[in-house]
Amino acid sequence: MIDERMEEQAALHVSGALNEAEAREFEKKLLADPELQAYVSRLSLATGALAGTAPMVEPPPRLRAKILAQVEPPQKVLTLPEQKPGLLSWLPWAFAAGIAVLCFVFIAENNQLRNTAGRQAKQIDDLNQLAQRLQAATDTLNQTVLALQATNRLANLRIAMLNSLVPDAPKAVAVSLWDSQKQDGVFVAQNLKALPADRDYELWVIDENKPVASGVFHVGESGTIRIDFKPSQLIKVASVFAVTEEVKGGVASPTLKNMVLASK
Amino acid sequence: MSICAQTGFTGDFRTFPGTFATSSSFSKLVNEQESTDRDIELLRQIAAGDRASFAEFYDRHSTLMFSVACRILNNTSEAEDVLQEAFVQIWEKAAIFNPELGQASSWAAILVRNKAIDRIRTSKRRTRLAEEAGAEQDAAANVEDTANETIYGREKAKLVQSAIVELPVEQRQAIELAFFSGLTQDEISKKLNQPLGTIKARIRRGLLKLRDQLEGIL
Repeated sequence: MIDERMEEQAALHVSGALNEAEAREFEKKLLADPELQAYVSRLSLATGALAGTAPMVEPPPRLRAKILAQVEPPQKVLTLPEQKPGLLSWLPWAFAAGIAVLCFVFIAENNQLRNTAGRQAKQIDDLNQLAQRLQAATDTLNQTVLALQATNRLANLRIAMLNSLVPDAPKAVAVSLWDSQKQDGVFVAQNLKALPADRDYELWVIDENKPVASGVFHVGESGTIRIDFKPSQLIKVASVFAVTEEVKGGVASPTLKNMVLASK
Repeated sequence: MSICAQTGFTGDFRTFPGTFATSSSFSKLVNEQESTDRDIELLRQIAAGDRASFAEFYDRHSTLMFSVACRILNNTSEAEDVLQEAFVQIWEKAAIFNPELGQASSWAAILVRNKAIDRIRTSKRRTRLAEEAGAEQDAAANVEDTANETIYGREKAKLVQSAIVELPVEQRQAIELAFFSGLTQDEISKKLNQPLGTIKARIRRGLLKLRDQLEGIL
């Protein structure tokens, strides 16, 4: 809070009515008191306007140039010793000019190189970002391909259940897993009748009504067998899988009356 | 001794307080704010050593400053010297200007006022100038083309002038003796043959009244 005495001091200060010692003392207080500063600032509006009540007088035009010249940074004037004119006297100037030209060229090239380096660095950054994006896209595509391959593999697979056709082994059953793309498969059978040593079972894949020999196997007392098979010929459409009992080592054409298992 | 000669507009182009004030008040407010901002920017550039900004600042405020110097010194040659000193100080100390503490124009005007007062104090001419100032009281009140026109424009300068003229004579006299003649409170007291407390109160009341009126105008 500024009291009346301080208001008075402030008014005397801004109007210039304080003597030197009083002004110094007031300025100390002013420095330490923001509220007093704000008060003085508002009062200075009045003294600023008061100053402007002076009759308008234009300064002489020459004064402008004089004042501007006074604030101009001083320029150093070099006084060179007078030299006799001649070819040799031009050599230092020519040398200096050459150096200046070279400096200019180097500076220009330096700037150009800096600009080029800057552009290339930016291009590298852009390319790196592009590479990262492409890698991400490739990963995605790879995953898609793997998924599609898995789907496709399933599409190429055919699973067939083979049931018994003989009364002496009614529980005989088998499953054939066929991959048409790879042209091979897995055959698993259970409860097959054990065969004598001179007899074998033979697996057939029926391709458009044409039986194709696909492997010979022997079953022991367990009646269980698992084989990987590959038909002797290219199978276009594996429509039926069948197993016949044949002589040891198998035959070229199935003996139909000895058919043990067949799929639908 | 060369006497400062007043310049300015003449009657044909004169407008009076209030004329056109309503229709153009908004654009004037904008212009004044732009002007203040421009001064702040110029002083910032000057502090950085920019001569072009210094030249522009000179063009904007030299008339006001020269008028103040002439009003105080009543001598063209001395006013030129003081103006030169003030501008050199602005060139060297523009960085200390604080826009929170007032307008750049006020700052420049007070700067040149202080330099002019310093000069008359050192030349021991104060008494004579004070007497001259006292004799000019009535004449000063009738001045029509004031330096405030260079800052506020003609209309507002007239309003400012009216606010000052409307101050009680004894208050205005005490303030002007301090501000334009550089007299201290004691010297004013002696000159006017009034108690010191009375002089203090006159200056305080006069400035507060003037400030309140100007805050409504500017």
